Amino acid sequence: MKKWKNVALAMTTLVTVSSMMMVSGPVMAKTQAHKAASHKMVSHANFKVGLVTDTGGLNDHSFNHLAYVGLLAAKKKYGISVSVVQSQQTSDYVPNLSTYAQSGYNMVIAVGYLMDSAVQKVAKEYPKTKFFIIDDAITGHPNVMSAIYETQQAGYLVGVMAGLMNLQKHVKQINGKNVVGMVGGVDIPPVESYMAGFQAGVKKVDPKATVLIDWANSFTDPGLGKEDALSLISRGADIVFPVAGATGTGVIEAAKQKNVFAVGVDANQNYLAPKNVMTSAMKGVDVSTEIAIGDALTNHFKGGVQYFDLKNKGVGYAAPIAAVPKAIDAKVKSFIPLIISGKIKPPSLLSAH
Amino acid sequence: MNFFLQVFGNPELYASTLAMATPLALAALGGTFSERTGVVNIAMEGIMLVGAFFGVMIAVLTHSSLLGLLAGMVAGIITSLALAWPAIRLQSDQVIIGMAINVFAGGLTAFLLNTVYGYNGTPTNTPFLPTITIPGLVKIPFLGQVIGQQNLLVYVMLILVVVGHYVLFHTNIGLQMRAVGEHPEAAATVGVSVVNIRYLGVSIGGMLSGMAGVYLSLGLLNGFDVNMTNGRGYIALAAMIFGKWTPFGSLLSSLLFGFAIALSISLQGYQVSANLVGMLPYVLTIVALTGIIGRSRAPLADGIPYEPSK
Repeated sequence: MKKWKNVALAMTTLVTVSSMMMVSGPVMAKTQAHKAASHKMVSHANFKVGLVTDTGGLNDHSFNHLAYVGLLAAKKKYGISVSVVQSQQTSDYVPNLSTYAQSGYNMVIAVGYLMDSAVQKVAKEYPKTKFFIIDDAITGHPNVMSAIYETQQAGYLVGVMAGLMNLQKHVKQINGKNVVGMVGGVDIPPVESYMAGFQAGVKKVDPKATVLIDWANSFTDPGLGKEDALSLISRGADIVFPVAGATGTGVIEAAKQKNVFAVGVDANQNYLAPKNVMTSAMKGVDVSTEIAIGDALTNHFKGGVQYFDLKNKGVGYAAPIAAVPKAIDAKVKSFIPLIISGKIKPPSLLSAH
Repeated sequence: MNFFLQVFGNPELYASTLAMATPLALAALGGTFSERTGVVNIAMEGIMLVGAFFGVMIAVLTHSSLLGLLAGMVAGIITSLALAWPAIRLQSDQVIIGMAINVFAGGLTAFLLNTVYGYNGTPTNTPFLPTITIPGLVKIPFLGQVIGQQNLLVYVMLILVVVGHYVLFHTNIGLQMRAVGEHPEAAATVGVSVVNIRYLGVSIGGMLSGMAGVYLSLGLLNGFDVNMTNGRGYIALAAMIFGKWTPFGSLLSSLLFGFAIALSISLQGYQVSANLVGMLPYVLTIVALTGIIGRSRAPLADGIPYEPSK
């Protein structure tokens, strides 16, 4: 028994020390902010913004990374002081958020739906701190602004592209079995909306297509993601769409190895495998983070939900690679006005088939 | 019936089992060597991470995946010495040291990744370990699709399990290792250096855990991601215990874990709930632990520091 007590003690100490080391970031960020501010008319170096990632971390090639990009853009534009802390596990969310609020940060950004309850709890305790949460709809807190992305619209567009590509006859990567596959991280609304849009988009242009779905039940396991994708490919899929954070990089790896197509997600991931990632469904986490910080600086910050969609360019897709014929891209583009005008309403829930 | 044929008749299920079992088996084999000499090794998770990172880093620098593999193994040995020295010389609590290494390795590799490569991650043109095609074998239907074409380290792992079994149970040095792990005082009285043997055991463990990490970053995948081991070091620990601290046992239990993961992937294609099949690896573990293997006995001196003065 004593042994385990010691283990617990050692772990607590280590975790505390390491998280203290991570929070020591602001010192460095501040000096850099000073440099940037010297070029500007107005400096907001006293305005401090802290970013808390979810467990995917800044290296997820995805929405945590994009939020960071937005934070850096805001730092450059306004000369604010910024700092980042990466959550190692879900139990870090509350302490990470409160550490920033407690040390006088003006604004705290929480990346991800999984931080919903943590943000609600901390926002209540620190009513003077402004909170911005991505991928979630929190109402009833005047100091919490939340961003919802209509990712089913982006999913729909890349789904249309996948459906059209799947019908191509003379493309080496397409096997003619008319199967596409998706790998979901965890079954939560911001993931499902992408996938539901994709499913509907494929079926719109290729009604006979089979759309396979696998859940990895993890956002952080690229090894598992690869095996998930290999399983889909063995069942005939020649286009795979991961919506799974860092797990998705393994899916793209599988597409590269088996030379089939993949569709990137959140950020432009075409660079991860330039011959295989044919396009990426994108959501403008970077832009909306920058806007939210600007709003807070200029006293335009208001609690409640902000929606980002095709109309305000909050979602979209990356320019496809050369393997995608121009005619297909043009056809995909023709769906954009239909969605904006509401003639087509991509679903945000998966349909059982 | 058709359903079973589709699930269990798909060679991808077994190829995936082998691919998922390889990092577990390599680390579990390493852990077996460490614990057979009496040093509890729960640091496999951390050592794998360090191996995975330095494998990628050196592979990128030298444009050679084999040098990357070598670097990952060396990094594994060096990290394991951080366990060996306090555990053997200072007689510290081995579980605490191991845990400390795991936490430290997670932070170190994340820090190095961001410092060396930035947030876009390791280069996409990182050289990777080749997939080997066994001529003849690959032509055999079904079997060929399962083991005819796998990553280099999958075959290396299978060979190392056989070699490991031979060394541990059929050589003099293996006998010395087991003696030190069961009764170090007795081994010392017949002139065996307990300290040296324990260093050797832990180093072999570090080397193989490092190799397991390189398999993840340069074999299965092609680059390093933060915490990419995802608890595989701990599953390897379970596989080692489950395998009764033997090389073949470690391999078989790793295959069982790998099979459970592969099965949970392929069952999803047939309208079985993802949440339900996600439990499969753990349910299988409990079933197997309670019903099949019976009592699993650790080496007697496992985890107990050796004090020569006594």
